[in-house]
Amino acid sequence: MRVPLSWLADYVDLDLTPEALADRLTLLGMEVKAIERWGSDWRSVVVGELVAVDPHPNSERLSLARVNVGDGTLREIVCGATNIATGQRVPVALPGAVLPGGRRIERAEKLGVVSDGMLCSGDELRLTTDAEGILILPADAPIGRPLADLFGDVVLDVDVKPNRGDALSLVGLAREVAAVTGARVRLPRAEVAEEGPPVEERLRVEIEEPGLCPRFVGRWVDGVRVGPSPDRVQMRLLAAGMRPVSNVVDASNYVMLELGKPIHTFDAAAVEGGRIVVRRARPGETLETLDHEERILDPETLLIADPRGPLAIAGVMGGAASEVSEATRSVIIESAIFDPVSIRRTAFRYALRSEASLRFEKGQEFGLAPLGADRTAHLIVAWAGGTVARGRVDTNPREPEPVRIPFRPARVNRLLGTALSGAEQRELLARVGVETEPARGEVRVPVARGERPHDVVAAGEEAIVAVAPPWRRDLAIEADIAEEIARIRGYERIGGTRPDTPMPAYRRSPLGVRDAVRTALVGAGLAEVVTHALVAPEELEAYRLRRPVPSLDDPEPVATPIRVTNPLSSLHSVLRQTLLPSLTGVVLLNLRRGRPGVAIFEIGKGYGRGPEGPVEWWRLGIALAGAATPPSPLLPRRSFDLDDAKGLVEHVAAALGFAEPRFTAEADEPLFHPGRTARLEARLAADAAAIGLVGIVGELHPARLEALEIRDRLVLAELAVRGLGEGWLEPPKVAAPPRHPTVERDLAVVVGETVPAARVAETIRSSAGPLLRRLQLFDVYRGAPLGEGERSLAYRLTFWAEGRTLTEEEVEAVVAAVTGALEREVGGRLRS
Amino acid sequence: MSIDLAGLTRQLELLRDEILAAAAAAPDLASLERLQIDVLGRKGRLTAVLRGIGSLPADDRPKVGAVANAVRAAIEAAVAERREALRAEAIATRIASERVDVTLPGRPVPRGSRHPIPETIAAIAEVFGQFGFVVYEGPEVETDVHNFQMLNIPLDHPARDLWDTLYVDLDGYLLRTHTSPGQIRVMARERPPIRALLPGRCFRYEAVDASHGFEFFQVEGLMIDEGTSMADLRGLLDEFAGALFGAGRATRFRPGYYPFTEPSVAFDVRCVVCDGAGCPACSRTGWMTILGAGMVHPVVLQYGGLDPERYQGFAFGMGVERIANLRHAVADLRYYLENDLRFLEQFR
Ligand SMILES: [Zn+2]
Repeated sequence: MRVPLSWLADYVDLDLTPEALADRLTLLGMEVKAIERWGSDWRSVVVGELVAVDPHPNSERLSLARVNVGDGTLREIVCGATNIATGQRVPVALPGAVLPGGRRIERAEKLGVVSDGMLCSGDELRLTTDAEGILILPADAPIGRPLADLFGDVVLDVDVKPNRGDALSLVGLAREVAAVTGARVRLPRAEVAEEGPPVEERLRVEIEEPGLCPRFVGRWVDGVRVGPSPDRVQMRLLAAGMRPVSNVVDASNYVMLELGKPIHTFDAAAVEGGRIVVRRARPGETLETLDHEERILDPETLLIADPRGPLAIAGVMGGAASEVSEATRSVIIESAIFDPVSIRRTAFRYALRSEASLRFEKGQEFGLAPLGADRTAHLIVAWAGGTVARGRVDTNPREPEPVRIPFRPARVNRLLGTALSGAEQRELLARVGVETEPARGEVRVPVARGERPHDVVAAGEEAIVAVAPPWRRDLAIEADIAEEIARIRGYERIGGTRPDTPMPAYRRSPLGVRDAVRTALVGAGLAEVVTHALVAPEELEAYRLRRPVPSLDDPEPVATPIRVTNPLSSLHSVLRQTLLPSLTGVVLLNLRRGRPGVAIFEIGKGYGRGPEGPVEWWRLGIALAGAATPPSPLLPRRSFDLDDAKGLVEHVAAALGFAEPRFTAEADEPLFHPGRTARLEARLAADAAAIGLVGIVGELHPARLEALEIRDRLVLAELAVRGLGEGWLEPPKVAAPPRHPTVERDLAVVVGETVPAARVAETIRSSAGPLLRRLQLFDVYRGAPLGEGERSLAYRLTFWAEGRTLTEEEVEAVVAAVTGALEREVGGRLRS
Repeated sequence: MSIDLAGLTRQLELLRDEILAAAAAAPDLASLERLQIDVLGRKGRLTAVLRGIGSLPADDRPKVGAVANAVRAAIEAAVAERREALRAEAIATRIASERVDVTLPGRPVPRGSRHPIPETIAAIAEVFGQFGFVVYEGPEVETDVHNFQMLNIPLDHPARDLWDTLYVDLDGYLLRTHTSPGQIRVMARERPPIRALLPGRCFRYEAVDASHGFEFFQVEGLMIDEGTSMADLRGLLDEFAGALFGAGRATRFRPGYYPFTEPSVAFDVRCVVCDGAGCPACSRTGWMTILGAGMVHPVVLQYGGLDPERYQGFAFGMGVERIANLRHAVADLRYYLENDLRFLEQFR
């Protein structure tokens, strides 16, 4: 809410600098977001007196004014406005002046006469909305004074929280100021000279929905002359961020800003027989609203209607037909209380949230209905003339009982960590208008309200009854009273203590496995990235795997995506199911920005729509592209390829204590290169029956690389990792190093090109038995003397036995068994 | 032919002189080794000469032995001396040949980087971990009930304006707008004493600029017990601010508003840019709000299954990007999800 301090000063004395006031309000929970100097953008604009106004010698439409700005000379200024006359005081922009919007004023020739400055309209100064005439200043405006001294203001931008609808008003904020300064609040004058006929002769109001409109106060004014509001009023409304419309409409807006009470005015001539009905819309009814939209009304909508049909959407927007215009002579003032939920729903339904609906939906003080009607009538008479009909129509004049909230000073202290006596607490409450009474008899303290109201009987404890002032609709339970006490006393005075209550039980962090993976991959030179969970639907489809990576301990992935129904952009309208498109995006971004190589990983979630609701699963994604090594005379230049990613997968598996991953060829995923893609799986080292890591690793299909304009390769991996969601790592169980010598044998196995290395290794492992402790491929060879279509895979086999030295014969026997198995199972022979 | 003592001694001396000269002239270690074996080995020349000792009278034999030992020692000494000389020469040669330009850069070691979002979450968790807070996580696709209703924000409540929400095509679900629903989930599974920390990704219907994003990260904290007070909250938050921004940094405790806390708190630290003088980063207030907090609302305790008369405590929530901005002097949170490696590689 924008608060011009000169206006706020109408309701409370302000003895503080704007900065100090802003600080106090902020510490009171009325956070001042900004302090704006209204008028600080008028430079070199001063008050001038029109000493003479003559016709321009060369133009019939222009005048030539002689202006005294108090500097001992008379300036000649050319002016196009017709409302000026000798003797008036007006704003003068001197040469060199800068107006709002950055417009510079210089000495300039206009049709043969040099104009020594400019006379300003209210619109040019953003003070009023009048762009036609020059702003005529009060006759006593001191000549030569900078305009900023006279009309400049300080405007506080106060962030009023949703629970404090009462403070969406100058009077409400004046009460807050009074709470800190001790000053008295002055309510605006609302007395009405009722010189017209009894209101009942003009206006009748019927409420069909008292639940949705618990109170309707109406007044009638005849004989108004609709026109612009006084300049001063326009200035205030503009400073508060509201556009002046006409004196009658401005009166209702003025009251809304002043009291927080939205008021609507109708052209009485458009209300059939002066009869107003407050009812729900009927099926098929329509209304042209003030914004000239023809709206089809939903039957939930509460209407202000006359016997012929809808006049306005109650509390939200008026109708065009009954709008107050220049032709209006009689005005109906509506000052009503509506059901907050109904107003909020209606405002959302028609996308018509306004300053008025914003206040209605927070709830309104009942007594504001008559006060608002009176104050509006008072201002209309003052600004637009007219005669007010005698009395008000009031459908429910009974004021509700004040809300009484018993509370226990000791419980307040327990909550706040303070030691305030009951008397101190009462004194603090009194400063915000919360009266207190001693509790009598058995007192039920409201601990919780809402679905399950919870009261506690204050037995043998001191209890006090707080009486909430009618405007404080936010006070309902004991904790609310505690907050008021803390707030008025100052949160800063709550001392800090370190908690000394019992500690909770130990719990393992769910981040453990993620941290281990991060440490491993960062250590291997990869950059961790975090990308959007919301992606474009096309990306989701383009990167969908035929066979998704299955989950290990997370819920299984679900193919149906979750879509956002109100996305900000289609680029981010669906929750991702794989990390691959986002990682590809990061690779492209960095390559296009000139980075020679990209090596990244992300630990993130996939999301899907399962039969029983949403499903989320964790994945590890890796992407590599471009230069694999930094430029250095010490490193060979090369680009990332599949082997790098496989190495990283093996590295992660080892870091997490899993066995070496086994790779199998994957030629059936259109996303990937059919000859350079593998599915993989790593078992737990401690439990070969359980899988620790599963996924896919491969190079992007060459056709896609071309489409993305990636020159060499893009390697991608997506993996499910046990414990990534909320797991931890079992510390490894280790063996003592062998105390007896180990024996190594190198075997070069010649096999056909089409035999996968994994099968050869598997054959060696299974035929060698338990003495084989390690198997390492150290060379691959093709060419003479091998035949066409053959290759040689050279392995180093390491053997040892527990508690004894292996004999030559034992090792030879194993090698013989391996040789036989290789020949039988993969058609291999040893290369001597 | 018989050899007498003098002849034998003479032979030994000749051998000595010859070998001493040869050793001094040996061009390398290998030839020196060969020379040594040739003379002193089991079948070497010295042994061959000494074979003549058997024809000497018994009295002379020790004398020859003494001479032979002296000759052997002389040869060994000469060989050793030459060996040392050759070694020194070889090392000098090696040093000369191996000289490099030590000012060249080293062989690069691959170096990765940790993303500032998880890193900042870890830093926050480390601080609160010292005070007994343990980490939990909740779902990102949440129910309206958990995200709003159980947090004392009924349907059609004006406070919903505080969270512009992204809704999904699943009835009753939305993308969580904050980590606060985790409060309900923790209370539902744990009995007090509770000290929980809930980090995670959140979503809002919010146009992207330097300080807003439609996806962002939060860390929620929750502490519930029988006597946990607002003073405890202040004390803990002061510890946190000191841990992150230095022990001397001033803090400010002021009223805030959340439907799920009562009283509610906004927590400020002295602007880390201007130190209170006033600058654009702090909207000229000299203070920066780093988190929102408050005493858990009795209705929220009820929805968590706790007796609001017996139990009380506090909750707090902070934006991870905001904390990361302050820690690393970042001015625009769009960098975090953009992932330009020139930005990310600075985080270690
Ligand atoms: Zn600052």
